[in-house]
Amino acid sequence: MLKLIQNEWMKLWHKKGTWAMVALVILFIIGPGIMMKYYETKTTEDTTWQETEKQAINDYKEIMKSDDLAAEDKTLYEEKIAISEYRLANDLPSQKDGSVASFMSFTGGMLTLVTLFTVIVAASIVSSEFSTGTIKMLLTRPVSRAKVLTSKLLTTFIFGLFLFVVNVVVSALVGLILFGATTGVELEMVSGQVVEKAVWNDLAYHYLLSGGDFVMSILFAFLVGSVFRSSSLAIGLTMFLSFTGGMIVMFLSRYDIVKYIWLTHSDLTQYENGHFIVGGMTMPFSLTILAIYALIFLVISYMSFMKRDVTA
Amino acid sequence: MTTQPIVQLQNISKTIGGKQLIQQLNIDLYPGQITGFLGPNGAGKTTTIRMMTGLMHPTEGNVIIDGLSLKENYEEAISKVGVIVENPEMYKFMSGYKNLLHFARMHKNVTKERIEEVVKQVGLEKRIHEKVSTYSLGMRQRLGLAQALLHRPKFLILDEPTNGLDPAGIREFRMYLRKIAAEDGVSVFVSSHLLSEIELMCDRVAVIQNGKLIDIRDINVETSSFYYIEATPNNKAAELLQKLDYNFVSENNGYVVEIKKEDIPKLISQFVNEGIQLFAVQPHQKTLEDQFLEMTGGGQIAEANSK
Repeated sequence: MLKLIQNEWMKLWHKKGTWAMVALVILFIIGPGIMMKYYETKTTEDTTWQETEKQAINDYKEIMKSDDLAAEDKTLYEEKIAISEYRLANDLPSQKDGSVASFMSFTGGMLTLVTLFTVIVAASIVSSEFSTGTIKMLLTRPVSRAKVLTSKLLTTFIFGLFLFVVNVVVSALVGLILFGATTGVELEMVSGQVVEKAVWNDLAYHYLLSGGDFVMSILFAFLVGSVFRSSSLAIGLTMFLSFTGGMIVMFLSRYDIVKYIWLTHSDLTQYENGHFIVGGMTMPFSLTILAIYALIFLVISYMSFMKRDVTA
Repeated sequence: MTTQPIVQLQNISKTIGGKQLIQQLNIDLYPGQITGFLGPNGAGKTTTIRMMTGLMHPTEGNVIIDGLSLKENYEEAISKVGVIVENPEMYKFMSGYKNLLHFARMHKNVTKERIEEVVKQVGLEKRIHEKVSTYSLGMRQRLGLAQALLHRPKFLILDEPTNGLDPAGIREFRMYLRKIAAEDGVSVFVSSHLLSEIELMCDRVAVIQNGKLIDIRDINVETSSFYYIEATPNNKAAELLQKLDYNFVSENNGYVVEIKKEDIPKLISQFVNEGIQLFAVQPHQKTLEDQFLEMTGGGQIAEANSK
């Protein structure tokens, strides 16, 4: 099995597209980083942070005087005022515009790119063998079809993890170089108390939750790629679902069945920001649904790959 | 045949979408023998070859390789087979060497030395580290042969192997096949459209049409003997042959006569007695092409049999 993965890995890196993907992942971190740095240096003012905080408190109070303020907004501003006052009282400057942590939570959004690229690999790793005819060479070896498919699936995941690591490491490096390690203190209100935000924990949690969409997208692309043996269909369909998934779920939200569709659950970051597409879900329930779908996708992929005739 | 067959097709049938492409095919292949596989386009050659290599699953029947069923013991059975199915499709974005390395990793006990050895055998040493996309068709064929030989198979299946090779390459290839068949007892199964090539290369031919095996026979063994006779005047010769009750057909300037070897001197003296001038008497062999066309009755693309 190790040798098979080695083979797939070798083939993967002999394609120019793979290198382009890595280059793009890095570019999409460095580019925005430089832009952010550029704007930060422009907006630096000579005022001390205490003055800025005081100014902010006055501004918020001014806004709150108006009558047509919604209740939610009111609590939001109250929280902001509380945090600013807490800073002044305890001598805790706020975070500067850029820091490693804030930059990394920004590039955490770029994980979509990692998912997209891994989907492309997942979609084409099986179907490209069919379109070039090399599948005949691959399947006339003393290696069962199940092993061949497993090596391809594992290689896809290893590649995805590799891109993820590239994203994290490059973000950390670029963040350190451009913004330095000195971070201020992020504060937030938790049940009426001002507390320090656990920036790194939040970041790790975000990475973990992004894994849901990552895994499901890959498995889906892999499924379509190996069943229909067409990479364009697999990439197209996966992208289509990831763009319209929210809409489909909204559309179906009137029916109970919506709870049992993987699209409702695959975006686990819902649990981070609390914006649920469909209410009344819990993490264990979501994970169970996702696991069931993952299993279904895999079973269909394997059945199709192992049973069908090769006519390419 | 006293030796055990290395490959047996047992009652292979294949039905796709209600059409029976292959019907109850039975073929035995023996070690050290090169068997040609012929048939008009659409006869089911490629389908048969795909079933022998596990790319397609027969609807009925069994493929036995060295005593192991391809269905039940796939990995072990296929490890004895070297395959080129149609064009040898390689990973074009990698070098020839990387391609061989790739396939070597999928077999047990194929060392780097073995790869070098095979590369040398097919005469690709000079270009093996270049990308396959820069190779000519003939070079790809050589590389295809190399990957099929890597694991020293006992049974070699080749689909159109000489396609794209130059005359020297074809000759070299033929010699090589003969050599591994004779020395290592490899059984070779070759499908080709080049009948003259099959004729030179093979010991036996299997002919299939409409998914059915219509003949399997040894090459160069004629059941009855034919001689080509050229004589003047022509019509007198024909009259004489008719009178003597021989079967004959006219060909070029003479006649092809069905006649036993021992009767030849008698016939010659009769010609001389009649005052017919004799220019040539030579054994006549039907080419494989003639035999093939005779067997398949022309060569229209076979219609698939509807069930």
